[in-house]
Amino acid sequence: MDRLGRYALLLALALAVWGLLAAVAGLRRQRPLAVESARTTAYALLAAVAAANGAMLAALLSDDFTLRYVAQNSSRATPTFFKVLALWSADDGSLLLWNLVLAGYLAAVAFRFRRYRPETLGGALAVMYGVAMFYLLLVSGPSEPFATLAVAPTDGRGPTPLLQNHPLMAVHPPFLYLGFVGLTVPFAFALAGLVGDGPSDRWVALTRRWTLAVWCFLTVGLLLGALWSYAVLGWGGYWAWDPVENAALLPWLVATAFLHSVMLQERRGMLRVWNLCLAVGGFALATFGTFLTRGNVLLSVHTFATSAVGPMYLGFLLLVLAGGFGLIAERAWRLRAPGRIDAVLSREASFVGNNLLLLTLTFVVLLGTVFPLAVEAISGRQVTVGGPYFRVTTVPLLLLLLLLAGAGPLLPWRGGSAERLTRRLRLPLGASAMLVAALALRGPRNPAAVAAFGLAAFAGVANLAEIGAGMRAAVRTGRRRPMAALGTLLRSRRRHGGLLVHVGLALAAVGVTASSTLAHHADLTLSRGASATFAGYTLRYEGMRTLRQPQRTVLVTDVGVASDGHDLGRMTPSLNLYPAASEPIGTPSIRGGPLRDLYVSVVGVEQAGEQATFRFFLNPGVTWLWVGGAVMALGGLLAVWPARRRPAPPASPAAVPPARRREPAVADRG
Amino acid sequence: MTGGAQTGPAPAAAAAGRRRPRRAPLPVAAVVVAVALAAWLGWAGLGRDPAAIRSPLLGRPAPEFALRTLGTDRMVRLADLRGQVVVVNFWASWCAECRLEHPALSAAWSRFRDAGVVLVGVDFQDDHPSALAYLSERGTSWPVVADPGSRTALAYGVYGIPETFFIGPDGRIAAKHVGPVTYDQLVREITRLLPGGRGQADAPAAGRR
Amino acid sequence: MAGLTAASRTARAWIRRPAAGLAALLLLALAGLAVVAARGPAPAATPAEQVHAIATGLRCPVCRDLSVADSPAPLARQMRDRIAEGVTAGKSPETIRREFVAAYGESVLLVPARRGADLVPWVAPALLLAGGLLAAVLALRRWRGRARAATTRPPSTRTSSADRMLLERALARIDEEAP
Repeated sequence: MDRLGRYALLLALALAVWGLLAAVAGLRRQRPLAVESARTTAYALLAAVAAANGAMLAALLSDDFTLRYVAQNSSRATPTFFKVLALWSADDGSLLLWNLVLAGYLAAVAFRFRRYRPETLGGALAVMYGVAMFYLLLVSGPSEPFATLAVAPTDGRGPTPLLQNHPLMAVHPPFLYLGFVGLTVPFAFALAGLVGDGPSDRWVALTRRWTLAVWCFLTVGLLLGALWSYAVLGWGGYWAWDPVENAALLPWLVATAFLHSVMLQERRGMLRVWNLCLAVGGFALATFGTFLTRGNVLLSVHTFATSAVGPMYLGFLLLVLAGGFGLIAERAWRLRAPGRIDAVLSREASFVGNNLLLLTLTFVVLLGTVFPLAVEAISGRQVTVGGPYFRVTTVPLLLLLLLLAGAGPLLPWRGGSAERLTRRLRLPLGASAMLVAALALRGPRNPAAVAAFGLAAFAGVANLAEIGAGMRAAVRTGRRRPMAALGTLLRSRRRHGGLLVHVGLALAAVGVTASSTLAHHADLTLSRGASATFAGYTLRYEGMRTLRQPQRTVLVTDVGVASDGHDLGRMTPSLNLYPAASEPIGTPSIRGGPLRDLYVSVVGVEQAGEQATFRFFLNPGVTWLWVGGAVMALGGLLAVWPARRRPAPPASPAAVPPARRREPAVADRG
Repeated sequence: MTGGAQTGPAPAAAAAGRRRPRRAPLPVAAVVVAVALAAWLGWAGLGRDPAAIRSPLLGRPAPEFALRTLGTDRMVRLADLRGQVVVVNFWASWCAECRLEHPALSAAWSRFRDAGVVLVGVDFQDDHPSALAYLSERGTSWPVVADPGSRTALAYGVYGIPETFFIGPDGRIAAKHVGPVTYDQLVREITRLLPGGRGQADAPAAGRR
Repeated sequence: MAGLTAASRTARAWIRRPAAGLAALLLLALAGLAVVAARGPAPAATPAEQVHAIATGLRCPVCRDLSVADSPAPLARQMRDRIAEGVTAGKSPETIRREFVAAYGESVLLVPARRGADLVPWVAPALLLAGGLLAAVLALRRWRGRARAATTRPPSTRTSSADRMLLERALARIDEEAP
């Protein structure tokens, strides 16, 4: 099995080299056949990498402990579901998955652009093959997933306890990988556009949907990570500002900025060099993120074991930075076109503001993450930059972003009459002002929280009103109402998808603000049968029972919950004892609700369950974070959904026979 | 970087054949600087062990403690031990790595106890019965004290046991070791602090190092 | 009487103007915020809150991603107990923090102190935002200026952006239809 895997990886590496050479040769010598060969090689590459992943999966499922990876990350007692997950729960295996996703994207690009001219596709393929080569080298070289042990143990060590505790492990890494790896596509096309015939900026139109899909994956991946932190790690929060979390946030911020600024390039031909920088920067940050995770540079719950992979990652990252930004610096000046906008109070200006805020956020988070490194390198002192710093510095920027998310969609392209703007502003501003006034009367003491609620209301209502206005216009034409409304939604997908994302953002902002500023918690030790009051609930420790499972022993504590005398059921926080871990891993018990979550985790159990120490949390609004995040993902999905082929609208003078149409013919309104 | 700095040639004009290779020096220089910075940072990052916290106590007077031994309930005070070499070892019965270093500690104890070196074990976040069982099972003959509330551990900056501190006769912490300590490491550190080792100014260097 | 109706008519006309309504709403919102801000932050009344406030500024040495307040580790719990003792004994938060720094080093503080080289992360965000804002404003003004200059020229000499978009789309179609 290990031989199959190893040879499959070597074959894949050879194919990647061939693909790169063929693509480059095809471009330089104008040989379309070479580029076509490079294109079809992508399918073979996918097959080879899939075979390697399949080999590892088979080894895991069959308990083949001759493989070092299987011995270290699986055991006979591990449930089958988690055996599958073991493929990506540790460093070497997750690199295999990374390669699979990359090969998948390569094949998808090869398929999607199969009828395009080789000049368009060749350069992008070359770049992607180059990236694939690096990751395949990693997996064939220092990181050896198929390394064998001289003596196979009778049983494996099992996965890291923290990573086998919850099924969320199934989806969090794959979605994040789909996002990180996907940033290779706009990067590749951007560079190809620079190196080819003459610098071209067609890459933006070509990769627009890809970037949007990648953004969706990143959003879902980050959301799942927060959910995992909340529901599995048991410390009561969902975002710890730890270095690897930050590193995953950075590409998302840049991708969001990029999605907005490309609209400026599409409509007004502006910001071409800027968008190139964002494409390179996003990919570089994604690479940087994996460098942090695997290079063991900063400590985090995510950092995998030490390996020699770090220096290779650093080299690749530097190559990407030097190559990408170097090419831009050298060639992109030819692309620069004088920009023009018609008014300051216009959608264009709001996009500039959006980019300003998002990029400042990116730099702030990046600075905070690498500052301890820099200080230690210069002076040898060890300092920490943690949660409080990030909260203080990012909150003002996030509030301004919320404001823009509400005001931006209201501003027309090219500016417009102030009258129209004030009319559109009335409802959102009114809602926001009422909310702030109502909150001010209730007596909170945190102006930032009240401002956040007000701005979230502003953004949410503004975007909902815009969606509603579009639907109302359709209804007025007299056709059947619900179908007409839905039809409008589906027709201008891009615009309505974006509006929906802003609504989701507002909801998530409400959730984050509520849970950050209004939460309560208490640490209590209770004897069996004793009760305590917390946040209006009466919590009674009823006792402990032990569950023996093949891979772990679970100590489950039963806590009865009552409120105003009504029995609300039982919560069951637990401690999981794994043979491989010296300390138990806690699993919290959460009673979620639309307004608040009651969250209980058991921290220690003494005297065989006669006494237990609990941490109780009351987290208001967390549900809205998940709902808002889901709405954001749905909005992105709506925006990226491809249009059905439709006949050209009569107004378009450049009507081409609809046989081979790729781009939607309907220009987005508004 | 907003794409519209000076009035550059319009794309049509550039494509019309005026291919003057006019490189913009400033952006290229900026890229070089940025890449160099990233390289330096990355290299520095790779060279460090992120799990290690450097102790600020090295060279400083060791924090005082007065703790009772497990079982025999004798009081051990650091102040009483001034003038002797003291090795303070933080451990626990639930700690797998502590078991690894027990033989080394035993051997070092039997070698140096007559030279006046004191080895003190401090039980960390443990319960008495388990700790006593461990001690009797392993045959631990040096004084082992309990640390209620982990006050001493917190004062010494303990974060991941086993941790071993070497205190010289002057009462200052000369060295700290995180992780299981080997016999050779113990011998080296203790010998350095004994009269005749590098730590003493008046005795001739007895060929150490 | 006529003067009164005239006055009320102008008043009603003024109120109906959308900009006035907006201004009123904005003032309401800002007033609400000002009221909240004027209340001031809640003083850390109970000792438990004071302990929590100090604990959120310290990093748990075991679970390094979390603050001492958030961390479920036993060591963090004991640190919180020590902080509680310090608070009851009347020690200032700074003293308690310094005791932990003496044992664990500066890295136990969750945020760098605001002096010396450690000021950089505190000052940099504001500088970045200011710099970016300046660049954006300058760029916007230049673009606006060019737009004004362009409107004075006859429109036929420049490709409008709509035409450019059609051109790009046509080129994209040619791309894909080539063999």
